[in-house]
Amino acid sequence: MIEYVIKLKREVRSIFKDRWVWMMAWRDGRHNFSRLFLFVASLITGIAAVVAIGSLNYAMQGELDKNAKELLGADLVINSNKPFDKGFIRKLDTAKRELAKDAEMASMVMFLNTKQSRLIKLTALEGEFPFYGKIVTQPANAYELMKKGNYALLDESLARQYEVSSDDTIKLGTRNFIVAGVVEKFPGGGALTATLAPAVYISMSALDSTGLVQFGSRISYSLFVKTTSEKQTENAINLIKPLVEDLGYSYDTVEGRKRDLGEGFQSVYRFFSLLAFVALILGCIGVASSVHIYAREKRDEVAVLRCVGSSGWQAFNIYFIQIFILGVVGSIIGAALGVGIQQLIPFVFGDYLPVEIQLGVSWRAFGEGIFIGALVSVLFSILPLVAVRFVPPLAVLRADFTSPKIVSKTKWMAITLIVLFPILAASYQTRSFISGGLFSLGLALALGSLALVAIGLLFLVRRFFPQNSSFIFRHALSNLFRPNNQTQVLLVTIGLGAFIISTLNIIQSSLLNQVEFRGNKNQSNTILFDIQSNQKDDVVSLIKKHNLPVNQVVPIVTCRLSGINGFTVEQLLESDSVKIRPWALTREYRVTYRDSLHISEELLEGEMHSYKKGSTDSVGVTISEGMQETLKVKVGDTLVFDIQGVPIKTFLSGIRKVEWPKDPPNFIFVFPKGVLENAPQIWVAATRIDNPPGAIQFQQELVFKFPNVSLIDLQLILSTVDELFTKVGLVVRFLALFSIVTGLVVLAGAVMNSKFARIKENVLLRTLGARTNQIMKITLIEYGYVGIFSAITGLVLSLGGGWLLTKFFFEVQFSINLIELSIISVGVVLLTVLIGWWNSREVISTPPLQVLRKEG
Amino acid sequence: MPETVIKAEGLTKIYKSAENDLTVLDNVSFEAIQGTSLAIIGPSGSGKTTLLGLCAGLDIPTAGIISLMGFKLNVMDEDDRAYIRNQYVGFVFQNFQLLPTLTALENVMVPLELRGERNVAPKAKDLLVRVGLGARFSHYPSQLSGGEQQRVAMARAFITSPRILFADEPTGNLDGESAAQITNLLFGMNREEKTTLILVTHNLELAKKTERILQMKDGKLVNEQIHSPA
Repeated sequence: MIEYVIKLKREVRSIFKDRWVWMMAWRDGRHNFSRLFLFVASLITGIAAVVAIGSLNYAMQGELDKNAKELLGADLVINSNKPFDKGFIRKLDTAKRELAKDAEMASMVMFLNTKQSRLIKLTALEGEFPFYGKIVTQPANAYELMKKGNYALLDESLARQYEVSSDDTIKLGTRNFIVAGVVEKFPGGGALTATLAPAVYISMSALDSTGLVQFGSRISYSLFVKTTSEKQTENAINLIKPLVEDLGYSYDTVEGRKRDLGEGFQSVYRFFSLLAFVALILGCIGVASSVHIYAREKRDEVAVLRCVGSSGWQAFNIYFIQIFILGVVGSIIGAALGVGIQQLIPFVFGDYLPVEIQLGVSWRAFGEGIFIGALVSVLFSILPLVAVRFVPPLAVLRADFTSPKIVSKTKWMAITLIVLFPILAASYQTRSFISGGLFSLGLALALGSLALVAIGLLFLVRRFFPQNSSFIFRHALSNLFRPNNQTQVLLVTIGLGAFIISTLNIIQSSLLNQVEFRGNKNQSNTILFDIQSNQKDDVVSLIKKHNLPVNQVVPIVTCRLSGINGFTVEQLLESDSVKIRPWALTREYRVTYRDSLHISEELLEGEMHSYKKGSTDSVGVTISEGMQETLKVKVGDTLVFDIQGVPIKTFLSGIRKVEWPKDPPNFIFVFPKGVLENAPQIWVAATRIDNPPGAIQFQQELVFKFPNVSLIDLQLILSTVDELFTKVGLVVRFLALFSIVTGLVVLAGAVMNSKFARIKENVLLRTLGARTNQIMKITLIEYGYVGIFSAITGLVLSLGGGWLLTKFFFEVQFSINLIELSIISVGVVLLTVLIGWWNSREVISTPPLQVLRKEG
Repeated sequence: MPETVIKAEGLTKIYKSAENDLTVLDNVSFEAIQGTSLAIIGPSGSGKTTLLGLCAGLDIPTAGIISLMGFKLNVMDEDDRAYIRNQYVGFVFQNFQLLPTLTALENVMVPLELRGERNVAPKAKDLLVRVGLGARFSHYPSQLSGGEQQRVAMARAFITSPRILFADEPTGNLDGESAAQITNLLFGMNREEKTTLILVTHNLELAKKTERILQMKDGKLVNEQIHSPA
């Protein structure tokens, strides 16, 4: 007998040099590709969502860079709420700069063909605006025609809504205009602006003749400047800067507009990209869950490979290569799908985007999508695949043999990376570690809560299993607990989609319920403003003549703050110690005076405003609670108001809580009676109009008799807000749908995973006498349960989440629309049943003999 | 001098559990010489399969030493033992243990490919022809009968010209005719290749075809018979 002492020199080949593992990956994978592909298919929807949103972002940024000047229509815009100082314009003129002007104000327009009227934004234009880009009209010469003075242009949506066409006549103030055409595109404008405030355009030369410019009219003036170089733009800005404070001007540059639009879009982009990211994370969970089952099924084969000499890493690499390649393929498909979806976005939402998006492929977003897809398919498959490395070869002899738990560095590294990935990816999306961390925490909480609800539901089902129900129902229910069924994962993924859609619905219902007028008979729904003092009594008479209630007639005085607690506004603006938001100090306030609280108000602190006649420093004013916090003032503090040139010293006597949507108008500052009666003022009246024909008649007479008085139909605003919410909601629902689709792909994967077990079971049932019809019912009911439990899981969490959001974030009353929530739930159930049934057709239809032969 | 290919010294295997420790192999020692055949017999639960697993390096003993071709398997890690198996060992199992996603030919090629060898198909085909499956190269295990699957497994076992062949109830899942064919093939190829055959079986007739029979009971080696093969 010879004792060998041999040092083993085993060659360890890397995955790239080990030809065998690549060959085995192919040989093994060719039979599993369709099934494996379904695993990574759950990634496709997530990648598609991420790429679509990312691609839109890059396209938007590209367009913003390319067409920056067209957004402003000029190199520089100077804004003011009073006519521009002539000396100032002379100074600009001396530099030989091209100038154009506009004036914007709210006004009523009457369409004489239908005698209907509505509030619009009147824009009067002068000069060769725009200097960059162009106003696109239909017909093409309409803008030139408008400049002649007798013509007006309408925003396309307004013309469509009131069925106005060229050559119709409209009335603005006291003057009639012929409609020259419609505006299809206006620099910097978009359908969003047109929806919220549809515009009518006239020539500046015709503005005065409308009689709309009166005392108290809120008019915004803009001066558009074209320069020949950036240097000249800088010089112009330097010229304006010292005048900004003195004359109350502000200015906007191309860069500034681009930045503002960019930032605005970025905020929206980040919100939507995080939603898309949720779909991706769900896909990752789907991949991990499916690969886990796949790896478990491969245990016997791995044991054989280990027996004939494969190392643990070689076995791991075989399956890792399969998942990685399919992950990349899935990512390419997802990225291509995302790019395709992005091409559709401009068609659906193009009107709401600040610039026109050209069709094209964002290769950066495409590349990012593939990279992210490959990364997550690697990350989320490593953890379940690590088990393959430690499959004991002894399992070929003893199927039930399990090796002791092994602490693997790879496993811990994978767990660490999986935890880090959402944080890093969300931080990248939001460009902030804090936001990314908080988002990941929120997502973990949401998923954790969903998982808890799912576990709870399944526990309850087991605990209170309906033993006495019919066989079909019982069997379908017990199928939920079948090994490899991934029931919990399904409830979480499909439930998350249902959660997002339901939460959105709850928020929408709550917000709309807040401003809903139908419920409160006494609440005003129509506001008349810009009523001159000498028109007040006649307007009230007109309201009464139409048998309408006069809910409020309140005076409005415009003023500005000039000091707080002994400091001037200028000092406060420059102060480093008192940080009050500049806009709150410099804005114009519209205040009223009365001695009582309005029905929408409640005194939180201090006393109601008071005034001792003759006293110059005892004017007590009250402030709304939100603005009190913004201005950082408390009861007893002194405030100096500049009432159109006259300083009035006041002290803060109390703080009011104001329910802003309730019976408007409501005010930030309320003065006591006896102080402002002689100040220049306008009046606002509030009424309630419930029947539409009456409203048209009233509006007609109002516009004819008091052309300067404008009317806000709050119902119209409500429907506009509702429409806007619906559009935004559409995007959110669309992205939430990605989550549901991901869940359904996971469901299809789960059906595939348990397919053979199901087929065998069905064969057994058939052998025992079950009919196809019964097997079909069992299958459908099983997926019905999955759908119902997913919907319940999502709904339970959305009720909790919706309540928290409405109470603490939106600060409105929690309200739900049971019918809509039911429709969402039924939709989720039906979709789940449909997908489950579609993937189970083979299971249901496979003849018993075929299975028995296979088994033999 | 004949070469010792397997040397087991005081092999003990204890499975620990929460309730109690289970000794499935208790202080077993034996040697196997190159080119001989040996059967391990005994009732169910006597430790036959455990002993085979330890000898083949599929598991490690709780105590004792197991050497295969001079390599002390009990001090090696799992991947090194896998390498040793690939270099020196062939397996035939009761339930064939073919890879279901590979064709018959691919199943046979795997051990050589694992070594990094190329163009192994001709050798694999030769072996399949030798076991009577010349027309079944591209068939998957599910398309083959039990006897055919076991023949593929034998071709796979012999493709590396192993020094030792471990066979665990190789005819246990086969009908009489197939079993006879497999038995003839197994012993025939064993003679031709001068492989050491270690056979675990309940089948005394089959065991008698080997030169030595080790009888196990309750984890212990209770008897050893040396005789001329039947």
